[in-house]
Amino acid sequence: MLSTEHAPVIRVEGLTKRFGRSTALDGFHLEVEPGEIHGFLGPNGAGKSTTIRILLGLVRPTAGVVEVLGRDPWHDPSATNRHVAYVPGDVALWPGLTGGEAIDLLLRLRGGGDRAERDRLIAAFELDPRTRSRAYSKGNRQKVALIAALAARAPLYILDEPTSGLDPLMESVFRDEIRRVRDAGSTVLLSSHLLGEVEQLCDRVTIIRAGRHVETARLEDLVRGAESPTLESIFLRHYETR
Amino acid sequence: MTAAALLAFRLRRERVVLPVWLVGATGLLAASGVAIVREFGDEAQRSALIALASGNPAFLFLRGLPDGAGVGAVVFFQTFSFLAVLTALMNTFLVVRHTRADEERGQDELLLAAPVRRAAPLVTALAVALLADVLLAGLATTAGLVLGLDPAGSVLTGLALGAVGLCFAGGAAVCAQVMPTPRGANGLAAATVGVAYLVRGAGDALGTARDLTHVDPSWVSLLSPIGWAQASRPFSDANALPLLVPLLAGVVAGAVAILVRSRRDLGASLFAQRAGRPGWRHAGPALLAIRGQIGTTIGWATGTAILGFLAGLITPLVVEAVGANDELAGLIARLAPGVSAGTGDVFTMALLGIAGTLATAAGVQAVTRLRTDEAEGRAELLLATPMSSTAWYLRQLAVAVSSTAVVAVVAGLAAGTGFVASGSAPDRIGVTLEMVLVQLPAGIVFIALAALAVAALPRLSIGLAWVLLVAGLVLGQLGDLLGLPDAVQSVSPFRHVPAVPIEPVTAGPLVVPAVVAIAIAGFGALILRRRDIPA
Repeated sequence: MLSTEHAPVIRVEGLTKRFGRSTALDGFHLEVEPGEIHGFLGPNGAGKSTTIRILLGLVRPTAGVVEVLGRDPWHDPSATNRHVAYVPGDVALWPGLTGGEAIDLLLRLRGGGDRAERDRLIAAFELDPRTRSRAYSKGNRQKVALIAALAARAPLYILDEPTSGLDPLMESVFRDEIRRVRDAGSTVLLSSHLLGEVEQLCDRVTIIRAGRHVETARLEDLVRGAESPTLESIFLRHYETR
Repeated sequence: MTAAALLAFRLRRERVVLPVWLVGATGLLAASGVAIVREFGDEAQRSALIALASGNPAFLFLRGLPDGAGVGAVVFFQTFSFLAVLTALMNTFLVVRHTRADEERGQDELLLAAPVRRAAPLVTALAVALLADVLLAGLATTAGLVLGLDPAGSVLTGLALGAVGLCFAGGAAVCAQVMPTPRGANGLAAATVGVAYLVRGAGDALGTARDLTHVDPSWVSLLSPIGWAQASRPFSDANALPLLVPLLAGVVAGAVAILVRSRRDLGASLFAQRAGRPGWRHAGPALLAIRGQIGTTIGWATGTAILGFLAGLITPLVVEAVGANDELAGLIARLAPGVSAGTGDVFTMALLGIAGTLATAAGVQAVTRLRTDEAEGRAELLLATPMSSTAWYLRQLAVAVSSTAVVAVVAGLAAGTGFVASGSAPDRIGVTLEMVLVQLPAGIVFIALAALAVAALPRLSIGLAWVLLVAGLVLGQLGDLLGLPDAVQSVSPFRHVPAVPIEPVTAGPLVVPAVVAIAIAGFGALILRRRDIPA
């Protein structure tokens, strides 16, 4: 089912995506190793969400090689998504379903999940599963998607700014849960703007700007090589320079 | 943001949808006017037609009150109650999409954070409705003048439509305060429109004939705003005063809605949603698709059940009135395409044809869910799981077809029950059921076309799906009435539905549309598989 142990979980090479005349991705590359938490960083509109949608087989690459667990997601999204749990940046739910019902639906689609794990996560994230999705705040909608993803025991987690609506307490619950799935052997691709979160969680990061690859490095190497050692100044420099 | 800027924003959003409604309603008035001038150009012919209609409660119920034999009076009798319903629905959907729909989507939250009054979104939505009704009144008047109808009568007809429109704009504004969701608000407001039409119908059917070509309504009609609008009698004892009733009702309802909106919390409603279940034991994509359509299917089925039951109930009355009269038989026959027989069956067929169209509409609405789920981001969440886009698409199509079938079967059973209630033998139920079932293949073609639109032209698909259905209805059901050439009419699948029980049912007219529908839907699945989501 999975490819060999040391092959990259995600391999993207020379990836280009054009929407009409605009180019969202321009020869981008990304490699995520098994068992790592890989940060995915870049300014708004740099192409992070487009890359993620391509990894999920939702969007067709214009050119380039894309492999998720050794398979091309566009060719057969069902086969790759079987091993992926995803949390979108902007979670849209079914207005008439309660949070608990939406979690059960997503878990069922991912092959069932673990009932006890689901209940534990609902408690850990302090979610009221009886509330209709219509009435949830952004943070609570994110919790629904997070719980449905984390209870699924997937080999690969793809998370697109999953904590942008969470309070600091819930953010810390999130960090614990991500470390837990990593320790259990899963791989995580985490797109985030929260540098503190990246610093605490990620083994390596890839920076994207205007659809192009800027840098992939271990976090400590990034910090060591820079004149100014704060993470913020390093990212600002990467985001801004041409 | 000032109210003027908000109004400009609303008008910008209406630049396509509202003109379609206005042109559609005016076009219908103009087309039936032209048809009446052509088919009944002679005063004596019109007198005979109106005299027959006057003596028949079924016609009074469906159409309204005969009010003289002039061309204007006949056009008014033929079209007004139908146009009033269209106008009322135009206002309903207009007001709800600018109020409760924006509120649910979070747009009002953004707007109200600006220095505008709390009721400003509602007030400007009502202003757009007012503008739409003034435009419609102007267009209807112009249509009447172009047809050569009495100028004063044309103006009054326009004003009557405008007054009905405003009345229901106010009503929809109240519904938008009462209901928590745009669907609920639209459903409640549209049901009010249906009740207003039926109450007027009952009142008119119970009316008393003043002479051969005039019928006065019973008091029941005055319980309906459409009844009051009709009471303006533009082409006989023209009187604008009755129009004040729907107008005032609309103003009062609008004022109540504004008052409620000024005092309530954002997102609050009278019928708030209760907490639900904490889990879903049998969760699954098929049940999800079914859950999403149950409410609307029940709504459509209720409407067609009432229509079907009435059809069964009043057809015997029509048969009695028609008797040996060939002229009326000929008129009724024109309601049903391609048939020369003149019996009560044709009358039932015409009504169940409308029921079949409504059943198709239920399916088309279910298919457009694919696009709203895609546009609002739910499709992304679903398709990031092992579920394929083809399965998602086909599953929703299956639910859409089932929804159409359920609504059609309910209409057929209700019509049969109506017949039995008015004294027919129970085996009538089998016949009426067959009458709706033979329409299903044609209806499924429109469901498949809507699905193809979602796959191929996602951004335009919802509007396109409805325009296609309306075009099919106009060509197939009303083509003869409007005097369209045969070649144009035969494009519509509705045109080829076997005229049960007059024509024998053969396999061809059922199998061909079914195969066409499968081909169209399959083509859509191929396109969907090859495009980005969301597109």
